[in-house]
Amino acid sequence: MSAATGGNIIGRSFGDRVILILAIACALIMMAPVLWVVGLSLKDNKELMADMNSVFNAPYTLNNYINILATSSVFRWVLNSVIVSGGVTLATLVLSSLAGYGFARLNFPYRNTLFIIVLLGLAVPEQAVLIARHQLFSWLKFHNTYHGLILPGLSAPFGVFLMTQYFRAIPKELDEAALLDNASRFKIFWKVLLPLTVPAQATLGIFTFLGAWNDYFWPLISGTKKDMYTLTVGIASTQTNFAQSEGLGFLMSQAVFASAPILILYLFFQKYIVTAVSGAAVR
Amino acid sequence: MTHILRKYMLAAASVIALVGASPAFAATELTVQRFFGACDADWGKNTDVSKAVGECGIITSLINKFNADNPDVHVTVTTVEWPGYDQLTAQFAAGDPPDIVTIHQSVLADYQSKGLIMPLDDVLKSVGVAASDFTDASLGGVTKEGKIYGLPIDNWTMLYHINMDLFKKADLVNADGTPKLPTSPEELLAQAKQFKEKTGKPYFVQNLANEVALYTRNLYTYLFQQDSAFFADPKQVKINTPEAKKVLELYKAIYDNGDTVKDLDYAASINAFLAGEGGVHLNGTWVIGDYNASSETAGTALNKGGYAVYPYPQLFGGKKAQYADGHSWAVSTKDRSDEENAAIGKFLKFFHDNDFDWSRTGHLPAVKAVLDSKEFKALPHRDTIASIATLGTALPPTVQRQFAIQDIIGQEMSSAITGQKEIDAALSDMESRINELLANI
Repeated sequence: MSAATGGNIIGRSFGDRVILILAIACALIMMAPVLWVVGLSLKDNKELMADMNSVFNAPYTLNNYINILATSSVFRWVLNSVIVSGGVTLATLVLSSLAGYGFARLNFPYRNTLFIIVLLGLAVPEQAVLIARHQLFSWLKFHNTYHGLILPGLSAPFGVFLMTQYFRAIPKELDEAALLDNASRFKIFWKVLLPLTVPAQATLGIFTFLGAWNDYFWPLISGTKKDMYTLTVGIASTQTNFAQSEGLGFLMSQAVFASAPILILYLFFQKYIVTAVSGAAVR
Repeated sequence: MTHILRKYMLAAASVIALVGASPAFAATELTVQRFFGACDADWGKNTDVSKAVGECGIITSLINKFNADNPDVHVTVTTVEWPGYDQLTAQFAAGDPPDIVTIHQSVLADYQSKGLIMPLDDVLKSVGVAASDFTDASLGGVTKEGKIYGLPIDNWTMLYHINMDLFKKADLVNADGTPKLPTSPEELLAQAKQFKEKTGKPYFVQNLANEVALYTRNLYTYLFQQDSAFFADPKQVKINTPEAKKVLELYKAIYDNGDTVKDLDYAASINAFLAGEGGVHLNGTWVIGDYNASSETAGTALNKGGYAVYPYPQLFGGKKAQYADGHSWAVSTKDRSDEENAAIGKFLKFFHDNDFDWSRTGHLPAVKAVLDSKEFKALPHRDTIASIATLGTALPPTVQRQFAIQDIIGQEMSSAITGQKEIDAALSDMESRINELLANI
C-alpha cells in the first residue's frame, strides 16, 4: 500500500481505492442495523405494528424519546448506572493494579500458587456462584444497595492477569534505580511504575466500564426496588408485554437511549479506546 | 450555657416527639409489583380510568385512582419486565418481596407450594368479595388445594382472528355472515385447501419462529378436546399418547401443505395478518382492540370485509374446552399489621369492583356480573368470545413450572412440525424432559 496523500482518494493507488471502497461498504453494512434501530425509534408504535416498512416513510416522531424522558425514574436509573459502573471500574483498576504489582514484583511465599488460584477464577462462570452470592448478600442485607451492585464486579481475575503481565514487561532496572534513591515499595509502585501502565489501565478500565454498564442479570435480581434499578433493568421494566409488536418504536428508542451514554463516552475517548483495543489484540 | 443547653434539649425533645408520633395520621404503605409496562408519559397522573387504553394505561390509571380515593393507603408501584419471575423469586429468597404482585394463574402453584403467597379467602370475605362472584375459568385458575391464592382479574386465551374479506373470497362464510369454522381435523384441512385454492393465500398466519407458547397452547386445547388427562398426576405428564400424536400430525400437515405462513416470529405474524397475508391469525385476547381498530381504518386489509374473532373450533368429540390462563394479584406471606391487611383488602376489592375497566384491555373479565353486563357485551367482539368464560380450561392447579414446561413442549413441537424431528421422537423427548423437570422440583 502506498502512502496516502492526505484523504485524497484520487492520489491513491488502485489497490488503495479498492480497499477504501470495500471498507466504506463494510462500514455501511455494519451501520445498517444501527440505522434501522434509530429509524424504528422515530416511528409511532401503531404505524410499525400495521406495517414495518413504514419506517421508510414520514411522518417521524420524537414521541418515543419524550415518553422515556417522562418516565419519572429514568434519570435516577442513569445515575445508578454511572455510580455502579464507575465504582466497579475505579475499584477494579485499584485492586488489579495493586495485585498485579504484587504478583509481578514482590517475592512472597506461595506467590505462584496464589496467582494460579486467581487465574482459576477465569474458569468459573458467574452463574455458578450466583445462588451462593445472592444468599450471602441477603444475609448481609446488601441487596438494593450500591455496594451490593458494585462488589461482585470487583472479582476480576482478568484484570489481575492483565496488570501482572504489564508490570512484568516493565524493566526491573527502573525499580532498582528507584530503590537506590531510597524510594519505598509503594512509592516505586505509585510514582515510577503505575504511570507506565496507563495503556493497560485504559484497556482494563474501558472493558470493565462497558461490562458493568451493560450488566443486566445481577442488577435484575439484586436491585429489585425501582429506585435501585440500573438503566438496563429500568429500561426493560418499562416495556409492555408484547413490546416487539405493539411497542416496537418505544423499544428501539429505549435501545438508543441506553446506548447513548456509551456512545458519548466513545466520542470523547475514541483515541484511547482504539489504542486500548488494538493494544489488547496485539498482546 | 445552661440556657443554651436547655434550648437544645427542648429542640431535641420536640424532634423526638415528632418522630415518635403516632402513625395514625400516616398512610399505610403497600408495595405493589406488576408487569404490563410503564406509561408515565401518557397516564402517570390520570385517575379517569374510562379514558385510559391498553393494559399499561388502564392499570396505571386504576392504581392512581385507588391512591386518590384512599388517602389512608399509599401504593408504591414497581414495574418489572414481563413476566418478572426472576426478580420475584430473588426477592422471596432475599426475604423482601412486594406486598402484592401480578402473577399468572398458571404460575401461582410455584409460589403457593412453597408457602410464599398467602391464601386470600379470609381477606376477600372481609371486604365482601365472594368466590361465587368469579367465573368458573378464573376461580379454577386461582384455587389451589381448596383455597384461593390470587384475586383473578381476567382470563385470556388464544382465538381465531379472522380476515372476513378473505373468508368471503374462499366461500367460507355462512348465510348469516358468520365465518364457517371446521368441526374436525379433516374438515380443517379441507377448508384450508379450499381457502388456498380460492384466495391464493394460506389459511393460517402463525408465529412459528422463535416461539414456544403458541405451540403449547394449541396442544393443550386439542388434548382437552380429546378428554386427555395428560396431567392426571400433576408431578408426571403422560403426553406421548395417540391423542397428542393426532394434534402434532394435524399441525404438521398444515405446515407441509403450505396452509400456514412460515418463518414468522410474533411481531412479523401480526404485520402479516394486518397486511392480509392469511385468513386466520392464532393470537390472544389482547390484540382484539388493535385488530378492531385496524378494521375500522379505511384502506387496511381488515377494513375490506371486516374482522371477526372466535374461540378455537371444536375439532374433536370430547369436552368442549380450550386452554386459558389469566392474571391475578397475589399477596406475599408476611407478618402484617391489621392496618396493612385492611389496606390489602381494600386494594383487592377495588380491582374486583373495577373489573369492567380491566376487561377493556381485551382480556375476559374474571367477575361474572361484568361478563353478563350490557357494557361488556357492547365492547367490540365480546359477544362472540364470551363462551371462553365456561370453555376456558387451565392445567390442573397443582402443576408447577408451567412456563418451563411450555418451553419444552414448544421446542419439541416446533422440531416435529417443521420436520426436524419425527413426531414420535418429539413426543417421547417431550415427555421425558418434562418428567425430569418435575422430578427435580
